[in-house]
Amino acid sequence: MSTYRLERRLEVDTKKQALTRVAGALIAMAVAGLVLLLTGRNSFKILFDGLEAIFGSQRGLEGVALRAIPILMTALAVALSLRMKIWNIGSGGQFLMGAFAALGVGIHVNGPGWLVLILMALAALVAGSLWILVPALARAYWDVNEIITTLLLNFVAAQLVTWASIGFWRDTEAAVIQSTKRVPYRLAELPGTDSLTIALLVPFVIALVLFWIFRSTTIGFEIDTIGGNARAAAFAGINVRRRILLVMLCTGAIAGLGGMLQLSAPGARQLGPGYEAQFGLTGFIVAALAGGAMMGVLVGGTFIASMFFAGLVLQTKGLSVYIIFGIYGLILTGVALGEMAARYRLVRVGDAVSSERVAS
Amino acid sequence: MTFALIENGFLSLISSAIPASTVVVLAALGCLVGERVGVLNLGQEGLIGIGGVYAVIAVVTWGVGSPWVALAIGMAAAGIAGLMFAVAVVVFRASQVLVGLALALGGIGLSNQLGTNRNGVQVRTQFSEFSLGGSLVDGGVREALFAHDPMVYVAYVLLPLTLWFILFRTRHGMNMRAVGENPAAADAVGVSVTWSRIGYSVLGAAISGAGGAYMVLSFTPTWSPDIARGRGWVALAVVIFAGWRPVRAVFGALLYGTMFSLGLTAQARGWGFLFNATDLAFFLSMLPFLVTLAAILLPAGAAKIGKRVRSTAAPAALAIPYSREER
Repeated sequence: MSTYRLERRLEVDTKKQALTRVAGALIAMAVAGLVLLLTGRNSFKILFDGLEAIFGSQRGLEGVALRAIPILMTALAVALSLRMKIWNIGSGGQFLMGAFAALGVGIHVNGPGWLVLILMALAALVAGSLWILVPALARAYWDVNEIITTLLLNFVAAQLVTWASIGFWRDTEAAVIQSTKRVPYRLAELPGTDSLTIALLVPFVIALVLFWIFRSTTIGFEIDTIGGNARAAAFAGINVRRRILLVMLCTGAIAGLGGMLQLSAPGARQLGPGYEAQFGLTGFIVAALAGGAMMGVLVGGTFIASMFFAGLVLQTKGLSVYIIFGIYGLILTGVALGEMAARYRLVRVGDAVSSERVAS
Repeated sequence: MTFALIENGFLSLISSAIPASTVVVLAALGCLVGERVGVLNLGQEGLIGIGGVYAVIAVVTWGVGSPWVALAIGMAAAGIAGLMFAVAVVVFRASQVLVGLALALGGIGLSNQLGTNRNGVQVRTQFSEFSLGGSLVDGGVREALFAHDPMVYVAYVLLPLTLWFILFRTRHGMNMRAVGENPAAADAVGVSVTWSRIGYSVLGAAISGAGGAYMVLSFTPTWSPDIARGRGWVALAVVIFAGWRPVRAVFGALLYGTMFSLGLTAQARGWGFLFNATDLAFFLSMLPFLVTLAAILLPAGAAKIGKRVRSTAAPAALAIPYSREER
């Protein structure tokens, strides 16, 4: 009688691992569909309605692109930190603070549009990195785990934005109670579209820059080395603490810029309690799915953004936003299990000793 | 006269902080049980939601008449979620951070979905006040400390002391700590790492679920979406602040609860120092999270500067999957 057991592979193929992660996510979605079927919802109809909502019209495609901008920005931020095995779960808060600072500049500074928009972007970059400064310093110099410190600040940012929208920056002219004044400036429109601005180009540019940094620069190599083995990197003479600080501040800045870009989306030129709309967590899932690969983030982010958009459309047809949360949870579990699956293989106990064992 | 006023204010703050912190105490003790055997469950937010929604379902839909039975049902539901988590991270050795976040997200989604038709419904079966101390202490102090429902005493006294005793005074507890610190050594002396990790993840999840059940059976007592509102994350922070010690965790959680009820009290009484009343309320609503953040940063900073802080390090094998082949 032979039994099976898991055996660890000595070398993990990163390409194979990317495949198993995606497979894990797809299996998780199939499970989600099955659960929906079992609870009396027609998941095939949901799927086709969703596809129709996206591909049925230009509006659908633009809707996906609009959702993709904030999701890609937070996902790129998280992916950058993942390269160093750092978990920035506070990208939602940094996103909000970026928007908060950009809005502050936008409603208080008068000047030529392009100049104010540049100032807004700078303010967002600074605010996003300031929001992660304390967790970054604590992680780099005091070895305090960043997961909980970054996350706690999300709640603070959400409260601050609610405060601004009800209190000190409230739009007193409109009848809406929970919303700030509107920014009078907007990024230039993309030709040939109804609702898109040049904001759509930003995540792609950032992804390319990050891709280049990790492919061809020393600093990118150092970050990957720290991610692989921080102690070995320190022995090799890399200043690990400084790199941690740098990377964490950059992730905050990227997420913050995402918050500023979102101010150009139609209907979102002011801040209110619903502004963040779970972009931070969604971006986290994308980054986990892509495993820190920047081009993978672009593909995965667009995919998740279409799910997000389809979910928003289907919400009006009775699919609740909570179910989407549940599906996110399933996908993330699938990704985690898939990542593990590539590291192990099933061997029959009692057979000849496996080849990898012999090789070692 | 002024002194009496301050004393009254302090006592009323404590009397509202105690129930407000109970959820965090329970969730923190739940995390602590799992983390002591090396399993980090970031899904506290989801476990509180699941424990809470099943307690509500038990009372509202299934007509359960005893709060203890409703509590047990909430705990069982959270325990099942904890079992699924444990299978993924202990048996299949998936990343504890990723699966934990998945549980946080999925648990919030599941509980909100299940609670959709029960938003704002009054939960009739509740824990009733259970007076300790009787005539031994006078009015104000009695109100503050000895006039709560029985779960408060369980969470603040019984459970932490029991955990302390088991962890630090029994052989079984020593084995538990060994699994969290050095699983290979524990394995070598015949402690099953897999089973103790699975078992205590499930138990820990059930205790965290009790926190959610307590919310709807006593604190709120209604169901509303996103019931945990960050308390699960605060609980995770409290465990760090407490240096993985059960009795200290109680005080960490009380710190959060005090800040939380400070905000509520300010709102209720229309206090307005420094800001006007609305602005002050908003400022104070950020305070619990800021204070929690400071509470985990300060001991770490003090340790780095050279002040001796007694054993605040995490279990050495926390969040690291164990497999016998890779010692």
